[in-house]
Amino acid sequence: MPAGVATLQGAELRYGFVNEAMQAVLGPAVREGDAVAEHPGAIPTDLLEVMRQVYDADRPFVAKAYCLPLPTTADEKPAPRYFDIALEPVHEGDGPVSGLLLFAVDVTVQEEARQRAHHLSIETRRLDTRLRVLTETVPQITFTVDADSRFEYVSPQWYYFTGQPPTADLNAIWPLLIHPDDRLRVLYQSDTARASGVGWSYEYRLRRHDGQYRWMLSRALPELHAPDQAVFWHGALTEVHDQRELADALRRGEAELRFLADSIPELIWTATAEGFIDYYNHYTGEYSGLTKEELGPTGWINLLEPSEQAGAARRWVQSIATGLPYEGLFRMRRHDGRYRWHIIRARQLTDERGPRWFGTCTDVDDQYRLREVLQTQYDELARTNRDLDTFVYTASHDLKQPVLNLRGLFDELRRSASFDDPEEGEIVGMLDEALLQLDITLQDLAATVQEQRGLSAPVEALDLRSVADEVLLGLRAQVQEAEATVSLDFEAAPTLTYGRANLRSILHNLFSNALKFADPARPLHLTVRSSLTDAGQPVLTVQDNGMGMELPGRPAPVFQPFARQHPHIAGAGVGMYLVQRIVASRGGHLQVSSTVGEGTTFTIHWFES
Amino acid sequence: MIHIVYMSRAVRPLSDQDLQELLMQCRRDNAAHNVTGVLFYSHGNIAQLIEGEKEVLEPLFETISRDGRHSNVIKLVDKPITVRSFSDWSMAFHPLEPSGFEALQGFLLPHHLPPPPSSLSIADSLLVDLVKLAVFGAEEVPAGLGALDA
Repeated sequence: MPAGVATLQGAELRYGFVNEAMQAVLGPAVREGDAVAEHPGAIPTDLLEVMRQVYDADRPFVAKAYCLPLPTTADEKPAPRYFDIALEPVHEGDGPVSGLLLFAVDVTVQEEARQRAHHLSIETRRLDTRLRVLTETVPQITFTVDADSRFEYVSPQWYYFTGQPPTADLNAIWPLLIHPDDRLRVLYQSDTARASGVGWSYEYRLRRHDGQYRWMLSRALPELHAPDQAVFWHGALTEVHDQRELADALRRGEAELRFLADSIPELIWTATAEGFIDYYNHYTGEYSGLTKEELGPTGWINLLEPSEQAGAARRWVQSIATGLPYEGLFRMRRHDGRYRWHIIRARQLTDERGPRWFGTCTDVDDQYRLREVLQTQYDELARTNRDLDTFVYTASHDLKQPVLNLRGLFDELRRSASFDDPEEGEIVGMLDEALLQLDITLQDLAATVQEQRGLSAPVEALDLRSVADEVLLGLRAQVQEAEATVSLDFEAAPTLTYGRANLRSILHNLFSNALKFADPARPLHLTVRSSLTDAGQPVLTVQDNGMGMELPGRPAPVFQPFARQHPHIAGAGVGMYLVQRIVASRGGHLQVSSTVGEGTTFTIHWFES
Repeated sequence: MIHIVYMSRAVRPLSDQDLQELLMQCRRDNAAHNVTGVLFYSHGNIAQLIEGEKEVLEPLFETISRDGRHSNVIKLVDKPITVRSFSDWSMAFHPLEPSGFEALQGFLLPHHLPPPPSSLSIADSLLVDLVKLAVFGAEEVPAGLGALDA
């Protein structure tokens, strides 16, 4: 834009010549001959005042970057424009001042640029101050190093940390403060980074003011002035000594625990919060013959006996979902294919590192098998003992009658026969005594057993199901072994008024017989049913699908003591004899039907109708 | 044929629209490459089981693990299988607005997920149940557990 020029004439400062540029500044209202004071146009009052003073004092005046609000069209706000204004007094010849020359040069662009630069420099100063405050207050040591490895800047923290005087020669001393074991590595690493224009991040020990070496993390990034041409590296040193010591301790502790876990001849493992196994100890590999990779996050389940896998998996998911401890007794496959009983236990540890699971599998196979054997033997002994007691009782009971008969016959003999030899009379007396002794012994025997076994207990109303369950519980080992299914149906006649010990003895003998004589070719199915006859008398039926037996042609008595249907199967041969005796002594009878190879059905008529 | 199971975290929560686009895109791509399986998503947790030919799955998993939409990709299983356990590829998640999703092919609400198929080994079923638990939390799990009874 060309400079605006105007002449102002006379003491009234009337507009004379106004060029186009000046006209644009002053506005269209200004016309030649008008007095400035009356038609100032865009001229503010202070400039008006200065004009008058310049005229009066006859001294030129220049105002730099003077702000004139540009005349506006319509309702736009006046934008500030800046002008360099020059006022020059005009003389006609050598006479007094006759007018003024007014120059106005638009410098708005320059002025705005200047103002921007001013603001920027203020902002830069502010940022600089902030950066300085920050770099000097953060705990880290900050530094700037140039491409020749010379330190351009280091924050005061460096001096506090190292205890060096502010006059210390950074470039000479810094390398000397690095731990001798780290020095070469650090110099090499920073040199390599500088050579290739990249940043670095490494740890080293730096000597503190007290002479202690502390682990520091040095990180720096390059400042690139041209692509790939770094001029400075800015970075920070952070003391990581405590973290490093802790991490070292943790690593050491973990390594020791791992070593411990790997030394124990027991399966030990850990799992993530999600339930994936992330560590199996050495022995797990040895026991299973599988590597950690082969086992995988859930592969342990494959080690379990197939029928136990689903249940074990389900419980593991439940433990993970609830955080509750996991415990179970499972068979686990060894590398040679043998299954051994293990107790698997796992508990959740929750600390600041989040929940994790720690588990063990303890081999209890020997204990488990020993206990099983002992239990079987115990059950066997208990049963035999019970059978013998009952047998003794029944036998003593049964022998009473013959003894009684013997006594009658003997009395008769003594009454009718005469003895010539007095010694013979003595023998008769001794015989008499012996008979009496026998009788007492039998009675004592019966009483003793009765006392012990509770056989003399009075009858009571018994719940058949609960007694049967009790008996089956005692036989559970045999039931499992025979893979037997037992269906109990006592609905038609749920109770029976009988001696408790008697009923138990009967059921026990019937059940154990069926189990003993199960057909090895098929799993045993035992059906036990109570019912009422047409006459309203209770009846119990025990039906099996066992080997069956040959029955003698005549209906009864089937069972004699020590008579055994299946000599190859263990037993004293008194069981069924006892049942028959008990049933008979209570006024009932036992019925049996059997087919060899199909099974046997026993029917007990508790009471004769 | 192999299957791969992994878990990961979404970099940012996925919106209904993100999920729908993901579902459509994966179904199209997976169908084209004969990849089947299932993806679980909930609150930024992701787990996926994919099955297919080794030559397809290995590069696919490479691509997946480089995908910028998720991180912390942890591969849990990568092993040969003899049969597929999934007939197609589907996704299970909780949309904010479920109404539009019900009709969408291959979409499942987490509690409508069928139990792990019996063609999976028990160890793999357990794995699927555990990732389901990890993604959806304990409330959704009892439905899945039934499978192990069978």
